[in-house]
Amino acid sequence: MFANVFTKATRDNLPAGLFGALALAFFLFFAMWVYRDVDTSFYFDLPAGILELVGINPEGEGTGAIAFGSIYNLMGAFTIAGLALSWGASSIAGEERDGTLGFLLGNPVSRRGVLVSKTVSMVLIVALMSLNLWGLGIASAAVLDVSTDGLFVGAITFAMFVNSLFYGFLALAIGAWVGRRSVASGATAGLMIVGYLAANLLPLADLEWLARLFPWYYFSSSAPINNGLDWAHVGILIGLSVALFIGAYVGVQRRDLREKGTDVTLLDRLRSHPSTEKLIERLAGSARVSRISTKTLSEHQGLFTVTSAIMFYMGVLIPPLYSLIPEDFVEIFASFPDALVAMIGGVDMGTPTGFLTGEVFALVGPIAIIVLCASIGARALAGEEESRTMGLLLSNPITRGHVVREKAVAMVGYAFGFGLVTFFGTWLGVWLGGLDDVGVGGIAAISVLLTLFGLVFGGVALAISAATGRRTWATMGTTGVAIVAWFIFSFFPLSETFESLTVLSPFDWYLGSDPLLNGMDWMGAALLGGAFLGLVAASLALFSKRDLRG
Amino acid sequence: MNEIAIKTEGLTKHYGQVRALEDLDLEVKTGEVFGFLGPNGAGKTTMIRTVLDLIRPTSGSASILGFDTHADSVEIRRHVSYLPSDLAMYDDLTGRDMITYFANLRGGVDESYVNELASRLQADLTKKIGDYSSGNRQKVGLILAFMNKPQLIIMDEPSSGLDPLVQREFQTMMREVAAEGRCVFLSSHTLSEVQRVADRVGIIRQGRLVDVEFVDDLRSKAVRKVELQFTQPVDASVFAGVPGVRDVSAASHHAVMSFDGKMDDLLRVATERYELVDISTQEADLEEIFLEYYRPEKVS
Repeated sequence: MFANVFTKATRDNLPAGLFGALALAFFLFFAMWVYRDVDTSFYFDLPAGILELVGINPEGEGTGAIAFGSIYNLMGAFTIAGLALSWGASSIAGEERDGTLGFLLGNPVSRRGVLVSKTVSMVLIVALMSLNLWGLGIASAAVLDVSTDGLFVGAITFAMFVNSLFYGFLALAIGAWVGRRSVASGATAGLMIVGYLAANLLPLADLEWLARLFPWYYFSSSAPINNGLDWAHVGILIGLSVALFIGAYVGVQRRDLREKGTDVTLLDRLRSHPSTEKLIERLAGSARVSRISTKTLSEHQGLFTVTSAIMFYMGVLIPPLYSLIPEDFVEIFASFPDALVAMIGGVDMGTPTGFLTGEVFALVGPIAIIVLCASIGARALAGEEESRTMGLLLSNPITRGHVVREKAVAMVGYAFGFGLVTFFGTWLGVWLGGLDDVGVGGIAAISVLLTLFGLVFGGVALAISAATGRRTWATMGTTGVAIVAWFIFSFFPLSETFESLTVLSPFDWYLGSDPLLNGMDWMGAALLGGAFLGLVAASLALFSKRDLRG
Repeated sequence: MNEIAIKTEGLTKHYGQVRALEDLDLEVKTGEVFGFLGPNGAGKTTMIRTVLDLIRPTSGSASILGFDTHADSVEIRRHVSYLPSDLAMYDDLTGRDMITYFANLRGGVDESYVNELASRLQADLTKKIGDYSSGNRQKVGLILAFMNKPQLIIMDEPSSGLDPLVQREFQTMMREVAAEGRCVFLSSHTLSEVQRVADRVGIIRQGRLVDVEFVDDLRSKAVRKVELQFTQPVDASVFAGVPGVRDVSAASHHAVMSFDGKMDDLLRVATERYELVDISTQEADLEEIFLEYYRPEKVS
């Protein structure tokens, strides 16, 4: 029985793991290829402190140091940890959500057996991913004749392995205790993102002692690609993982398991309370189900709350942080070479607008709004098909096009809500930080462009969802498009061969004009808006033609 | 309103090499409950999803109430309701929310009629769909199917999970629909349900329509078990030549046989040589016919 559960868990999750590892290896290969075309000596003219900050060995040189530092240290670490936490959250809580755990335990298998077999599967897949990244990284360097002298490729991939396991075990433990997958994955992802930001930003403000409270610190602060493994840090992460596994074991043994069912939300309680019943009934009842768009708007409140809260938090936090950073760091930011500046949207990190763009709007903002809009887009049509409600929905006198349009309207509503939260959070942060150089017009411009940028990727997800009826394909396809777009925007400006193609990336339409400094880029807005409308039109055509599932 | 509720002509649906529907010609009339029978995987759901324009036919055509199922699909849905098999709904909505949602998509329904249906089916609409048992979820589905008083109700395995009392009420509701000149298209693989409520049945197997019959005609074709009791010992071979007699056996004063011929012929032979004391026949069992139709050789 152990072998059966282990085999099924591995078979379910291994393809995504291997796909993720191959995609990362591809980006590493491509980054090396692009950097070969560039004179990278400018990197090594930078002060040692800055180089260490971005994960590049000051003693090293050449393409390999930059490529491994920029691809594996950040994108790779997030990807593997994200997958591990998803598998950890699904192990127990996911089975409960789907109502399959009781069915599984109807066979001669213990709770302990399920937990152990799924955990072993998760560890094995994360190990395979890390091994793949190690092997493919070395192979890429060899094929492209890129030197890896002074680089610890094995150390970085092993550190990624240990770091990812920690987040996998954390999600596993939370799921084992509360039986709710969304809580397990949401809380773990939140800690991961906040931890990453804290581990990287707090030391800049002489708050390293505070950064030590966040687990990401024990992955990134020792810069394993440059210095090899810090065994004390590795030991801390492994020790925490073991403790979390024990916690998961205790949690799953002692608790009543949940049946498939729904959670009682705050809204439900308010709806049944005599003093709030009428108002909430109107909002949560009749208004919510008045049309497809309003019902769709009610379905993503949790994700909207998390993503917009992250943006609000970043918007409020970063401007005051800028004023805390020592002057010499600001001067160093200002001296970044043009080629490096191109990677963060061509902004001047030595200025308040540049720092804010680089820290809030260049990476965190796009990730948050892409996650929001792509989730809505993927679930819009494929979600209804996969949950087999589409047939029932379309038994009403409405066209398929009507469904697509209503779902798109809901997505627009969420995106603009996200944009508004971003605007007010940033405006508040700028006011708190006393950054007079950052104008309200610039904040409004970048918030609107970010909104439209998110809609483009929501549109991609909607179109794939419309064409295939498969949510996983829509999510993975959109993720792929987003990574390619980011890659083009970040790396193509460094290469004479590829520079002219940068305009193909929606990142360029969004950030290329430095809107926080220069205000609204109407051409960028038109390109983003036009792309979204084009994708919705494509979705209409694709969805109208094919056989529906469910 | 058109007297033909559903009409298909040469309706065919292939999935690659799989022939889910093959050249299906069918006509279902208003004012009847039409039972659509077939084993699992016979093509029942494919046929329904094709006429509802959820999937598109490989060839052939279909109309509902005179409207083309593809070109006029929205107009059709104003007059038709559909209850899918293995019903899935939105777990986070209450039963009442679900009904309100679909009522809004239909431009409104008579709320008092919804309440009447809920009462007849003993449905509690205050809980969330995700917290219902399968039977209670099915009740909400039935309300959705009946609430707008459509000209045609298409239901795919609608009785699953319903307790016997609710099943009986549901059957009454279907008969009422037919009595009002509307139509119920009832897809099922359980004969007993169809036998009780349907006027006609269509039997589908391996994507092909095997037969369409009135239930009463089907019953008359059914093989009955006949038992004869005589005053003296009988010889089984006496009955072997009677048309419609099969599997005859005799023991002492009794003869037992399967019989689907004319009773007059049987009685004549039985009384020619023996003195008949008693005769008993069992009710025609459609299950036998049904199983007979399911056997592979029935498909040409």
